[in-house]
Amino acid sequence: MNCGKYQSQFNVYLDGDLSLREREKLQHHLKECLPCYRKWSSLQKTQEILQQLPNLDPPEHLSAVVMARLKNRRLRQPLWFSANLPRWLPMGVGAALLLLISVVLWQVMPSQYPWQSLFPSSRKNVATSTLPAEESQETLTIRKGDPGSSVPVMVLRVKDFSRADQELQSMLRSFTRPPLPERESSRSPHARSARLFQLQVPGQRLPHLLRELHKIGHLDQSQVESQKLANPGQQKQVSIRIVVVSNGSDVEIRQLREGR
Amino acid sequence: MGTESLAQHSSGVKRQEEQLLVDGCRRGDRESFAQLMRLHEKQIYNFTYRMLGSEGEAEDLTQDIFIAAFRGIRSFRGEAKFSTWLYRIALNQARNRIKYLSRRNFFARQTRRADDGANTGSESPEGLADSSPTPEQWTMAKDLAAQVQECLNQIPPQARQILVLRDVQGFSYDELSEMLSLRPGTVKSRLHRARAAMRDCLSEKLE
Repeated sequence: MNCGKYQSQFNVYLDGDLSLREREKLQHHLKECLPCYRKWSSLQKTQEILQQLPNLDPPEHLSAVVMARLKNRRLRQPLWFSANLPRWLPMGVGAALLLLISVVLWQVMPSQYPWQSLFPSSRKNVATSTLPAEESQETLTIRKGDPGSSVPVMVLRVKDFSRADQELQSMLRSFTRPPLPERESSRSPHARSARLFQLQVPGQRLPHLLRELHKIGHLDQSQVESQKLANPGQQKQVSIRIVVVSNGSDVEIRQLREGR
Repeated sequence: MGTESLAQHSSGVKRQEEQLLVDGCRRGDRESFAQLMRLHEKQIYNFTYRMLGSEGEAEDLTQDIFIAAFRGIRSFRGEAKFSTWLYRIALNQARNRIKYLSRRNFFARQTRRADDGANTGSESPEGLADSSPTPEQWTMAKDLAAQVQECLNQIPPQARQILVLRDVQGFSYDELSEMLSLRPGTVKSRLHRARAAMRDCLSEKLE
């Protein structure tokens, strides 16, 4: 005897949708099982009571009140309805507009990540050096948190990149203790045409370093923001970054510092 | 013409007439709307009364439902029956009103009033008793109607609406499915739970 199974059929039975065979089985069960019969009978009685609830007459003044309230109201006129246009149209137009705005923003944004312009606070923490390579236009980005992200950048233009690169590496090793870590010094993805060096030098030796750099290539100081280099003699250690690029490359360095 | 086809024909004619009235409303003809309202006000008023358990609240809600229907008549595209569309508005408005009244403890106060014997509803109990009831039968039937309404007020609104639409107003599962935007299977299982909740409440009260 499975009371649960029979009880689950009560509603179908109540709606008169139970098949003849199942109805007979259920009726037979109800004759034998008193708990099921009680449940069934109370459910049946409940439905009877609900079906026999009287229908109330609405107040006579109801329609007059509604019509009076409607006197000064106008019908809503949905645009897409009056023009007999499909219902999905407003959503479609919205999606198309969103797509259009995204494309326009993507094209207009000057930076590598268009959303940086939308969130200025994140943008000012990023130092970006644009290093167009000979073959491909790629970008070198140094974020806040990267070693030396707020450090001045100098651009050294050289004729023979690979030779200057070697010279610079050996020269810089004499200026910095501990020796220049190779991993940190080569951040550029274009190792054949550009390389970023990052180092700390004693403030007193900085003029000497600048002279040495001038010997290797043309030091483009017009693009360098070097406030920290103003009085190098007073500082024990000065952090600098040097970007060495081959002469033909068009390099634009933009340093964005915190608080700007 | 058999009885069934006669009924179908009559329902088709009614639907055509209704469509003409709807077209009139869409053109802003208020008289057409008044006629439409006369066709449906009793059903809607009874629905709102069973949902709220108060004649005053039911009247206010019925007014709001018809006003919302008039204002939105142009969004009725005739894909469903007008009554189905109207009930969708009614269900939506009733849900909002129940939320509003529940926040103000309206239903709890109604129950307390009923417990104190202060229910003065004007429900005619003819339907609950014989055609010529004795005064005792009349009183008993009136009490029963009040207890049924009290139970309706106590069960969750979702169960209440499905129970009123199916067992009180006699809508089919297909119509319920369309009004509530639910699958027929979901309607059945919700009705099953609603009936059980109502039975438990009534059994407790009538014991």
